[in-house]
Amino acid sequence: MPELPYDAAAIIGAFRKHGVRFVIIGGVAAIAQGSPLPTEDIDVTPDPAPDNLEALAAALVELKAELRMPDASVPFPVDAKILAGNSVWTLSTSAGALDLVFQPAGTAGYEDLRRGAFEVDFGSGRTAAVASLLDVIRMKETANRLKDRAQLPALRQTLEEIRKREGRS
Amino acid sequence: MISADLLKEARLRAGLTQAELARRVKRSQSQIARWERGDVKPSLETLRELIRACGLELGFELANYDDSYLPLIHQQFRLSPAERVRHMQHVAAQMIDLRRRARASLA
Repeated sequence: MPELPYDAAAIIGAFRKHGVRFVIIGGVAAIAQGSPLPTEDIDVTPDPAPDNLEALAAALVELKAELRMPDASVPFPVDAKILAGNSVWTLSTSAGALDLVFQPAGTAGYEDLRRGAFEVDFGSGRTAAVASLLDVIRMKETANRLKDRAQLPALRQTLEEIRKREGRS
Repeated sequence: MISADLLKEARLRAGLTQAELARRVKRSQSQIARWERGDVKPSLETLRELIRACGLELGFELANYDDSYLPLIHQQFRLSPAERVRHMQHVAAQMIDLRRRARASLA
């Protein structure tokens, strides 16, 4: 059995244990809503408030977070001040690949995404806020990288099917 | 809901409130809300005007219809959100493993 690229429940568990405020975005958010496209990491938008960065740093220390490089990972001093100094962190953790994106393309960050987000239970009561599929599409449309554009037809089709199920098509 | 979702996406990308967009297009905020809820569908021309007011352009192209994702989406819908994520973690792991094997066989 190949090793899992990330363990969403373990990462969420560590974040919740330390009281981190965050919204799950990207591929995992889309999958939770029915997207058929796999992803190899979990993307998260944390609240950038100082107290939350302290909590986030504690969770990352517990997860043994390191900077993720193409062929290795590199330790770095994980604390709130360091985390505040960068808008994107690409990390390798004991629970797999984790990206922190404080202001995803086309959004104003945590508060903006929190409005449309909903709670998902990832098992054993480990709930987390997940960005709406409409917001995931907004981010990918704005980021406009080739890999984002390639995913849009499947994401739009998923949204259309969700609307049909809601009786709103 | 396609027009409703497109309109909301464009407005949010522009960072506008419904009232701000309404002022730009000289309509009422409640009309914008009705369009975004999907209660009323705007014409294609009106949708284009609304999206332009957000500083974006609604592109048009005709492509071959492709519903190949539908069975996979419906398969995902049969699972709970947590099960979907767990299932896709395993799919991603298999993909990574296949890539690793392919690289090894080429080396």
